[in-house]
Amino acid sequence: MLIINTFVRTLRFIGAYTVANVQAAMEYRISFWVQIFTMAANDSLWLFFWWTYFHQFPLVHGWQNNDIVVIWAVTACAFGIAMGFFGNSPKLAALIMNGGLDAYLGMPRYVLLHVCVSASDPTAWGDIIFAVGAFLLFLHPDLLHFALYVLMALSGALIFTSFVVIICSLAFFLGNTEGLAQQLLGTLITFSTYPMNIFSGTVRLLLFTVIPAGFISFVPLQLLHQFSWLLLAALFGFTTLIVFVAMGVFHLGLRRYESGNLLGMQG
Amino acid sequence: MNTIIAQPEKSFKQNMGYALRKYTTVFHVSIANNLAYMGEVVFRTIFLVVFVYVFLQLWTATFAAKGIHSLSGFRISDMVWYLATTETIALSLPQLTRLIDQEVRSGQLAYLLGRPCSYVFYHYAQYLGGRLVRLVINAAVAFIVAMLFVGPPPFSWMGLLVWPLVVFLAISIDFAVYFSIGLLAFWTEETTPFFLIVNRLALVLGGVLAPLEVLPQPIRGLAQVLPFSAVLYGPARTLVHFELDHFIGLLVQQFITLAIGSLVLFVLYRIATRRVNINGG
Repeated sequence: MLIINTFVRTLRFIGAYTVANVQAAMEYRISFWVQIFTMAANDSLWLFFWWTYFHQFPLVHGWQNNDIVVIWAVTACAFGIAMGFFGNSPKLAALIMNGGLDAYLGMPRYVLLHVCVSASDPTAWGDIIFAVGAFLLFLHPDLLHFALYVLMALSGALIFTSFVVIICSLAFFLGNTEGLAQQLLGTLITFSTYPMNIFSGTVRLLLFTVIPAGFISFVPLQLLHQFSWLLLAALFGFTTLIVFVAMGVFHLGLRRYESGNLLGMQG
Repeated sequence: MNTIIAQPEKSFKQNMGYALRKYTTVFHVSIANNLAYMGEVVFRTIFLVVFVYVFLQLWTATFAAKGIHSLSGFRISDMVWYLATTETIALSLPQLTRLIDQEVRSGQLAYLLGRPCSYVFYHYAQYLGGRLVRLVINAAVAFIVAMLFVGPPPFSWMGLLVWPLVVFLAISIDFAVYFSIGLLAFWTEETTPFFLIVNRLALVLGGVLAPLEVLPQPIRGLAQVLPFSAVLYGPARTLVHFELDHFIGLLVQQFITLAIGSLVLFVLYRIATRRVNINGG
């Protein structure tokens, strides 16, 4: 019962922050909608490019025409959820470097979660609209497949956020890792949006461990092709593991954190 | 009498000389500033390495699936060198639009307008310095990576000789486009969406991932009639597959694009600066 109560309270906390973030972004209403529309158009442009490409140059090894739509729909939705709800996570390295964590450490809420939810990227909603739209429009899923898709996108969002937290937390140990974090996040997104069929050997192993792109797009693709409880368990198992690793690395680093005596307002 | 007539001529030459020295100094300072953050510049090349690797795998799989050794005259090694070249240029773009946007919104523009130099040329010199550092680092990393993956480049001496010129024109076109988008901050709440759309169109239709000849229809048809190819496809093809006819056509396309882009920039700048009010204090 205590676990359920904590879970519900956490969800309400995330929900309240997200609503406040969206309201803040809607202060500039036109800009907010233009950003969403632009991101959806940007994703559509890339999807159109790759769809026509793979239509003309189909890959072998069981690659199907609509697979590129699945990969993009799952990755964009996962990334959108991550940046829409936990949009402050990419700024974690800068906060660590500038002593910006001070504002959160005195608060009663769980620090890492509080840092992550305190900002939202408006363009992320464009990613989500594009992803859900593309999935429904091109794949015509039944209710079960759509529910599975949403579940896998949520899992992907947790993987994205945890990955960002881990690489940004390196700032506790290595100094300014903001540039490195941006590059590694870009790398994860890049690997997630290409067919896994083209990689083999060590690189494929890396894509299921160090840069977990395989769990963001490839495993969901396999699950949508042919559902397997074992594969779903592997996906959730890895998601749980990476969330705990992220929390562990952050807390380990927090012991080394030195306050910058920074005065700040936290709304 | 002679002195009176000669004075304005000498003065004009002197002014030109001073202006050149002034912007050259800004250019040098910008290079020094960017070299001071070498770590960041080198980190940025991780993405370049990833891209080249991913595309090598993609082209290898595509060629194997089709059972072919070349596509529209491009072998896998040509494709990789082409990609290394386009990515060298594309990933060297600094955050010019954001800089101008912030200067307009924060009012810092007012301080810069008071300086004894043109706001546009000051930023152009600064931009060239920053972009040159990134270009050189990217080119060095791309060269090593492509060399390791597919062996020596297929460059001709003519291609190597004219490449700096077409790259200079390409990055000048980029400056005109992204500076103009930054100036839109005078009228709009946010310029990022405009940047995003133009940048993505330039990447997809500019032939960053593959030569235009290889792209599927209708993307190929669309890309061939739009000016985006003057920035990425044109310079990369000149280096990898030099053809005199293509080179001359590219130069004409670049000059026309640059002229139109510069005209738009200066008209926007003229209208925008009329909206600036500077109060002392």
